[in-house]
Amino acid sequence: MEPARKVYLQPTPVRIWHWLNAFGIVTLIVTGAQIRFPEYIQLFSGYKSAILLHNTAGLVVAVSFSLWFFYYGVVARNMLKIYVPSKDDLRFGIGRQAKFYLLTYFLGWPNPHHPTPENKFNPMQKSAYLAIMFVLMPLIALTGILLTNVSPLRELVILIGGLKILVAAHFLLACCLCAFLFTHVYLATLGRTPLAYIKPMWTGWEEEEPDRHSHPAA
Amino acid sequence: MCIHREPAFLPILLFLTFVIPAVAIAGNADCLVCHADADAVGETFRIDHLTFDTTAHAALGCRECHTSVTTDHPGDGIAPSKADCRGCHEAISAEYARSTHQANADCRDCHNPHVARGPAAVSGADMNRQCESCHGRLDTTLRHAEWLPQTDLHMAMLPCISCHTASEENVITLYIIRRSDTLLGDGQRLATYPELKELAEGKSISSLIDRNEDDYISLTELRMFNSDPENRMLRLQGMITPEAVTHDFRTLDNRWDCSFCHASGPGARQTSYVSLAREDGSYLRIAAEKGAVLDALYGTPDFYMVGATRSKVLDVIGMVIIAGGMVMPVGHGTLRFLTRKNREHKEEE
Ligand code: HEC
Ligand code: HEC
Ligand code: HEC
Ligand code: HEC
Ligand code: HEC
Ligand code: HEC
Ligand code: HEM
Repeated sequence: MEPARKVYLQPTPVRIWHWLNAFGIVTLIVTGAQIRFPEYIQLFSGYKSAILLHNTAGLVVAVSFSLWFFYYGVVARNMLKIYVPSKDDLRFGIGRQAKFYLLTYFLGWPNPHHPTPENKFNPMQKSAYLAIMFVLMPLIALTGILLTNVSPLRELVILIGGLKILVAAHFLLACCLCAFLFTHVYLATLGRTPLAYIKPMWTGWEEEEPDRHSHPAA
Repeated sequence: MCIHREPAFLPILLFLTFVIPAVAIAGNADCLVCHADADAVGETFRIDHLTFDTTAHAALGCRECHTSVTTDHPGDGIAPSKADCRGCHEAISAEYARSTHQANADCRDCHNPHVARGPAAVSGADMNRQCESCHGRLDTTLRHAEWLPQTDLHMAMLPCISCHTASEENVITLYIIRRSDTLLGDGQRLATYPELKELAEGKSISSLIDRNEDDYISLTELRMFNSDPENRMLRLQGMITPEAVTHDFRTLDNRWDCSFCHASGPGARQTSYVSLAREDGSYLRIAAEKGAVLDALYGTPDFYMVGATRSKVLDVIGMVIIAGGMVMPVGHGTLRFLTRKNREHKEEE
């Protein structure tokens, strides 16, 4: 057997961002649930701790989001190439990838997408990450910032339609992120072994089998 | 006997209810000739005529509290005596005397005896003004910020006494707020009487919200107020105010617990009022429709109390979205498990 070929897929800033983000968002979801449903969920000793933790985690995620944006946009300068699906992706790629997930995966066929550092996401990933990182995350961060500064930004809040609209948006966006998280973590286990895709997100290096390509699918 | 007694009793009653206050108010006028006029007595000794006449103390009359005032006043150069509140308000005085705050402030530090009003007639902002002279706003905010999230918001939305008196029963009182002219900064304030009067165009101010003037505000009326383009610069703001004021100002353990307020369910506040500025500086309180768990407040798009006023509909939509996220792990995961043989086979090749 040939020695396994390795690809350096996830640069260090991306990995730091990713895990800060992951722990941050899990914290946000859990504390957020307690803040919204205090009479059902009491994971943290008090409401105060839940709120303080939520605000802190929000800050961490916002900072790590900036790190991510800065890295791809300014340092690596390949943000658009990596995250925006091409015409081909939209026309054929998504269908092909969906067919893999929903049918040929079960038959044991290989993943049609072959990741390279410049094209590391399959067309479905691109679309999903694009929506998450360019729409969902900025919106949820923005609504969060408004919610932590209601007094000074009151007029802005009214302009948006009032506190209720703001809270509704923040909550529904959070539910979307939570839904994404379940799907995302599940898809991350679809590699050759359950940890095959998760390890590179930790070490940066993806092992490629000589006979069968292994690809991040999440 | 009884037959004779009644007619005799009635005039006495009439005398007590109408003539004595009328005499007292006439007596007030004797003093107010000078004392309502800053030019005659100077700003420190001026008493606002309109304000005083509508307070609970007006019926007592100036002399009742300034007993030693002589006919030669002010020529005699003797400062008239000033009544001690304790003489008439025994229960409250006894309660306050037992509190730790008693050493810090006297009745008169918080109350102007010429502006004596019950809590329903005082706005939340005015209640806080009673504390502000000693507990400066910035200092108080900083002290509470050590543990209280969203401190500035709490300080703006709660009278201090909601947390610092023992009264457990709170209501939601809605005030008409004038929005700020600038986009940033906290420039909003209570709408004043002249502003509301102008808006009411000759009708009573309560008709701005209580459109059918039945002294009761329905959900529809609240919504109409909010959606009326004439009221663009106004909005309703809810405050949590205590229904009864106890005078044992101190830190209460259960106010540390946010769920004292931030929880929904049967224990949550159901009663709400709208409170409107009156010409004399007091506030008129009108009952608003009672609703299951604050539903009445859905009429005010800008009142949201985290943990307490969440929308059930949104909760359901949110749960559906999250359940959507489970479809992939559960559905795909099941098929994945059932077809695991296919992939093992390929692996061995
Ligand atoms: C003719 C005008 C006039 C009338 C009428 C008048 N006052 Fe005065 N009053 C004054 C002036 C002037 C002062 C300020 C005196 C001073 O500077 O010592 C004063 C001061 C006072 C003070 C404050 C004294 C202090 O030094 O704290 C009281 C209390 C008072 N008046 C009560 C009354 C009452 C009660 C009446 C009605 C029975 C009354 N006054 C009627 C002119 C008047
Ligand atoms: C319920 C009792 C009460 C009534 C009624 C009352 N006063 Fe006073 N008044 C006081 C007290 C107590 C003070 C002392 C306030 C302080 O020291 O802060 C005072 C103070 C004053 C002063 C000194 C300036 C000030 O505001 O401290 C004047 C002048 C005065 N009163 C005039 C009047 C006049 C005129 C009337 C009637 C229109 C009147 N008072 C009715 C209790 C009363
Ligand atoms: C630390 C400030 C403070 C002190 C001191 C204080 N009060 Fe009050 N009091 C308040 C506030 C705040 C309210 C509620 C708003 C209002 O009615 O002015 C109130 C309300 C009242 C009421 C109306 C209560 C009701 O339910 O109708 C009376 C009467 C009263 N106070 C009398 C007194 C007397 C008498 C003293 C002195 C023994 C005193 N207060 C001392 C702050 C104070
Ligand atoms: C001469 C008796 C008398 C004195 C002295 C007096 N009050 Fe009063 N006060 C009354 C009466 C009578 C009422 C109206 C009935 C009631 O609410 O208790 C009243 C009402 C009030 C109210 C409004 C209560 C309400 O619910 O409408 C406040 C606040 C108040 N007094 C504060 C004070 C303060 C503070 C002092 C001392 C500066 C004081 N009073 C001195 C007799 C007095
Ligand atoms: C005349 C000045 C004065 C006024 C007015 C005043 N306070 Fe105080 N208060 C003090 C002082 C002095 C202390 C003790 C020092 C401190 O803790 O800041 C104190 C302490 C307190 C404490 C802490 C007590 C404890 O046992 O921990 C509370 C709570 C409080 N005040 C509430 C209020 C409220 C609410 C109001 C208004 C309704 C008010 N105070 C109005 C002077 C005042
Ligand atoms: C949300 C409820 C809440 C509100 C509103 C609130 N407080 Fe407090 N306050 C507390 C609690 C709880 C403490 C005890 C905190 C501590 O001991 O560190 C406290 C402590 C204090 C103390 C003692 C502070 C110290 O460090 O010893 C003062 C004085 C005080 N509050 C005054 C006020 C005043 C004045 C207002 C209105 C502007 C106000 N509070 C509003 C809950 C509240
Ligand atoms: C704790 C649970 C999580 C796990 C186990 C996990 C796992 C992974 C893995 C294995 C990858 C690499 C595969 C790939 O490149 O697509 C990845 C990438 C990614 N994840 Fe996660 N993730 C988690 C949480 C999150 C959260 C909460 C978010 C966003 C809100 C997120 C957003 C992303 C994005 C945008 C990428 C692409 C990163 C890149 O630019 O390379 N992940 N994740």
